[in-house]
Amino acid sequence: MLLASVEYARPRSIEEALTLLAANPNGRALAGGQTLVNVMKARIAAPELLVDLNHIPELRGIRETDEGLELGAMVTYTQLARTEEVHRERPILADVAAQIADVQVRNRGTVGGNVCSNDPTNHLPPVLVAVGATMAIAGASGVRLVPAEEFFVGVYLTAVGPGELLTGISVPRRQGGDGFASVTIGRDGTCIANAAASRNGSLRVVLGCVAATPVLIEMPSADEESVRSAVAAAELDPPSDIHAPAAYRRQLAGVLAARAARQASGAA
Amino acid sequence: MSEPVSRKTISVEVNGTTYEREVEARRLLVHYIRDDLDLTGTHVGCDTGNCGACSVIVDGTLLKSCMMLAIQADGASIETVEGLGADGELNPLQQAFGEHHALQCGYCTPGMLMSAKALLDENPEPTEGEIRRAIQGNICRCTGYVNIVEAIAAAAEASP
Amino acid sequence: MTETASPTNAIVVEEQETRPGFIGTSIPRKEDRRLVQGEGVFFDDVKRHGMGFVHFVRSPYAHAKITSVDVSPALELDDVYGTLTGDEVAILTDPFFEMSVPPGSEIKDYALAVGKTRFVGEPVAAVVAATRELARDAAELVEVEYEPLEPLVDARRAQEAEAPILHEDAGSNLVWEGVFDWGDWHSCVAEADRVVRIKELHFDRFSSTPLECSGCLVEFNRGTGQWTMYGNHQMPGIGAIWMAPALRVGTDKLRFVTQDIGGAFGNKICLHPYFVACCLLARKLNRPVQWTEWRTDQHTANAHGNERWFEETEVAVKADGTLLGFKTHAIDDCGAFPRYEPLGCIIWAQVTPGCYRWQNVHVDFTQVATNKSPVSPNRGYSRMQHLWFTERVIDIVANELALDPVEVRKRNYVKSDEFPWTTPNGCVYDSGDYGRCLDIALELVEYDRIGIGSTLDSGTNNFGQSQLLNPDLQFSGNNEVATVKLDIFGEVVVTLGTVPQGQGHETTAAQVVADALGISPDDVTVRPGHDTYWNSHAGFSGTYASQFAVTGLGAVKGAVDQLAGEIRTIAAAVLGGVPEDAVVLEGGFAKLRDNPEAAIPFMGIGAIVNANNAILPEEARHVTLNCRYVYVPPFEVPDKERKYGNLTLTYASQIHVCVLEVDPETGAYEIVDYAAVDDCGNRIHPQIVEGQVHGATAQALGAATHETFTYDEQGNLLTPNFYDYHVPHALDMPPLKTGYIESPSPFTPLGAKGMGEGGGAGIHAVCAALQDALRPVGNPIVYDSCNPPHRVWELISNPEESRGRVAVESR
Repeated sequence: MLLASVEYARPRSIEEALTLLAANPNGRALAGGQTLVNVMKARIAAPELLVDLNHIPELRGIRETDEGLELGAMVTYTQLARTEEVHRERPILADVAAQIADVQVRNRGTVGGNVCSNDPTNHLPPVLVAVGATMAIAGASGVRLVPAEEFFVGVYLTAVGPGELLTGISVPRRQGGDGFASVTIGRDGTCIANAAASRNGSLRVVLGCVAATPVLIEMPSADEESVRSAVAAAELDPPSDIHAPAAYRRQLAGVLAARAARQASGAA
Repeated sequence: MSEPVSRKTISVEVNGTTYEREVEARRLLVHYIRDDLDLTGTHVGCDTGNCGACSVIVDGTLLKSCMMLAIQADGASIETVEGLGADGELNPLQQAFGEHHALQCGYCTPGMLMSAKALLDENPEPTEGEIRRAIQGNICRCTGYVNIVEAIAAAAEASP
Repeated sequence: MTETASPTNAIVVEEQETRPGFIGTSIPRKEDRRLVQGEGVFFDDVKRHGMGFVHFVRSPYAHAKITSVDVSPALELDDVYGTLTGDEVAILTDPFFEMSVPPGSEIKDYALAVGKTRFVGEPVAAVVAATRELARDAAELVEVEYEPLEPLVDARRAQEAEAPILHEDAGSNLVWEGVFDWGDWHSCVAEADRVVRIKELHFDRFSSTPLECSGCLVEFNRGTGQWTMYGNHQMPGIGAIWMAPALRVGTDKLRFVTQDIGGAFGNKICLHPYFVACCLLARKLNRPVQWTEWRTDQHTANAHGNERWFEETEVAVKADGTLLGFKTHAIDDCGAFPRYEPLGCIIWAQVTPGCYRWQNVHVDFTQVATNKSPVSPNRGYSRMQHLWFTERVIDIVANELALDPVEVRKRNYVKSDEFPWTTPNGCVYDSGDYGRCLDIALELVEYDRIGIGSTLDSGTNNFGQSQLLNPDLQFSGNNEVATVKLDIFGEVVVTLGTVPQGQGHETTAAQVVADALGISPDDVTVRPGHDTYWNSHAGFSGTYASQFAVTGLGAVKGAVDQLAGEIRTIAAAVLGGVPEDAVVLEGGFAKLRDNPEAAIPFMGIGAIVNANNAILPEEARHVTLNCRYVYVPPFEVPDKERKYGNLTLTYASQIHVCVLEVDPETGAYEIVDYAAVDDCGNRIHPQIVEGQVHGATAQALGAATHETFTYDEQGNLLTPNFYDYHVPHALDMPPLKTGYIESPSPFTPLGAKGMGEGGGAGIHAVCAALQDALRPVGNPIVYDSCNPPHRVWELISNPEESRGRVAVESR
């Protein structure tokens, strides 16, 4: 419950934030804090410096462009759920954001935090892989773009390296439909299993909660049978925990993939 | 202020009064409010940010004060349960909670009231579903939420 | 065959002079004003100058020898005030009093682990520092060397030859065992048409996890040797019985002070080990010390509800569903230290037959220790486990015999004209109408496919029940105390022996006093909370076990009736020497019934007795206007040979009906309709009663769907906080409909029954609804009290496994 000693800095720009992170290898970016503060309470992680990103205007904001949507890394779930452009352009993001945790968490939790913590039970990693998002990572040598499929590297591990910062996420315009299905601990709770789907000509399904990183499966066809077979053929080796033994998670993966796919195909 | 610091004198406005205190960077906002400012109406019920007993409104945003560092609130304006009424008079929400028996032990109540206030501030005519969603982040072990939902609905109706 | 109730069977509540009163109305609660303003005083709100904050060093092992504890690195930090280790505790204190017989009585239980640790999270040492964070930092520096031992986490293995032994002094993991045999099991089997055999049923470990965790701030007065503990112990009577001998002092040296408590549900009865550690630290360091339990601590190392296995159950029934009797072997897992146990081994017997009329019962009961958190009473203590068992058994019987569970229940419920009903072991169910409650519940829901949970909330314990476990114990009966006084300015002030945690005692006590004195509850001051220094209290004082409406309000009624009499005595003397019954109390005055102009305000009465007594005639001078009453329920010591006798005074009932829909592909389910009907006799404050029903339902639904304290094989708790241990929030709750009837108790001063625990009716209603919903997919048997989605899916995907637990023999 009680944090270890830590230092705190409040940069006003991305540049300042990068400078601080580069100078402090044991420093961590503090986004919404809805994951990091918990982890620090348990003293599982004890960074020496917290770089507070909450006062950097360039990281906030949702912009609509010709290509789609530009989300600042510090956009909160509440913002995502309520912004008109998101509802119009890529409603799956708003729908999923509205399901995350509760009001208080949504008011502070950020899209950047959600993807960078890469907890296997998080909602946004599978969704962003499904929609083919691109992450913008800023570092000393400028900004590089990493497709979502390559962004998630391992449990709690992403392509953001030491001294770097995720600054934004680009989401392409919707071509077909999107879907998301989950089984959670209580209503709108932590996911036990989840699946996101997106149709863009072809269908892709992305499974969360079953591996260290989201599992992307390109579907040969959209019908339920072949979606389930494709999931079965993926030979998932999901973890067992108190909420789901491995066999149950495997079962859920197939079911939820089919449901997400069905949503993406337009059927409810 | 982008130099790293391990302690700082912060200035925080709470319910209209500005407080200046020195804090360690690691001090949680909820402990600052309770222990340093002696505003003990805001409560701690868990250690994973799940229970919502610590809910307060910071710069107009409802959040859990155990999930934020006090130093992050430097310069911010906070509303807690102590600021709901005025001069010992209860506001409509507080009155409705009493009338509808929306509290038993009272431990979740401050956080519940703040969540209810945040809801009614932006949605003066919520449906039952919206009320439940608004307090989803506030755990109560005594009431089963039935009367809490009723009280919030009644307060919504009572307010102009 | 029906009989009209004869005068000897009739339930009669004494008629009182009818006048509009506050009892029975839902007046605004006195507690609310301060609580909605955040001005309640919970223990962690209390501060003392110079106080130190305690952090406990806790065991990471479920079972290990402690070979050394080195606190010196912690003491090197600035502003660390001091420490406490198990070795010190073993020198400064004696082990806590154990209630069991050998071998359980040989267990040594101290405030900190001594020589050995027996559950993950057990406090091993304590550090006190100037801030909370610093205490935590310092605790991390304490070096403890452990020699891990094999943990025991399965109660069913506890008595096997190779099982690790937790308590060497006892030489066995057995805490208590006994045989309960009433009626004649063998002849009822001979009479049966069917014997249904059920291999194993399991009631999960869980608890009501009050939102406020445990804690205290302890001051030690060196001059007087007294400790003052601002904490949330909900039963200071027994707290003192444990703590005083351990600390080698008299109970008067222990002052327990509470004002507001954030829920307890039984979880705050066994706080004595922590409180003793804090007492020792306060004395050793000569400063106030404060301990706040964090959520993870509460889940791992405070108290759980009893986990219970029911093995090799047999049920004898007639083909028409008449239940003749049952036999089972119950194995109760009490965790690492018994503490309040083995009382759980008898308390279930308050409701031996559940709501039903069967007479032949045989229970082999075994309680064992395991390397898990100790248990303590938890809302529905020990009855909940047994009532779930009886309901499950009846439902399985109905399922296997293809009978309607509604009909089976109605056929077997104790009928309303059969009360008071004596159970096979001599408990007396005072009143009720279970069939009618069930009908009301069925009317409230709009579906036919339902699950039923019928439970009893037995209230006001006869502590003579403890002698059925250990004949050497000197506990019997029960009591509660209240005082009511009229002060010099006419203020009416009440103190309670109880320790409320949200049940509205200040309010309901005020209702009773107001009605007796003819004033408004607004004019009655009830001292909030409990202070053992100031409040009169007795050995069983506290708030637990669904008894306040009987014992607490019984004491209040006794005291206020005395006070009313004393007021009339003074008024009668002063208003012309009239007889006392010529005086009535109305509107804050004592008046002559025949001449209401002749009236003295209460302020006048108070002034005369306190400051002007020379004007009183001799016969009125004994009046003090400060009345203390001890309510003692009518109990006898039970028959130890037969384990027979009345163990509780009142029996409130709750009948719940649940309708749910299962997603067959995922096992997730949603409760789509739900009704709870309660009967707690005369309702003193209907809104408070309903609130208790809502709350009990929510807790039962949590227990049924998610709440389980499950351990891995190393004895690590897998649900140590609210992240993994999911409790219902507002979106999880189903539409909840409630109904009620009032069957007044013939045995209590106000015809009210204690209520509030609820008996866990909802747990079985959900299990039964699941059972019913899953019948089309292989008819699996629901055998566990907690059924999260993964378990439902297992039932669906492998129905044969659970069906293998049940066999029906025709005779």
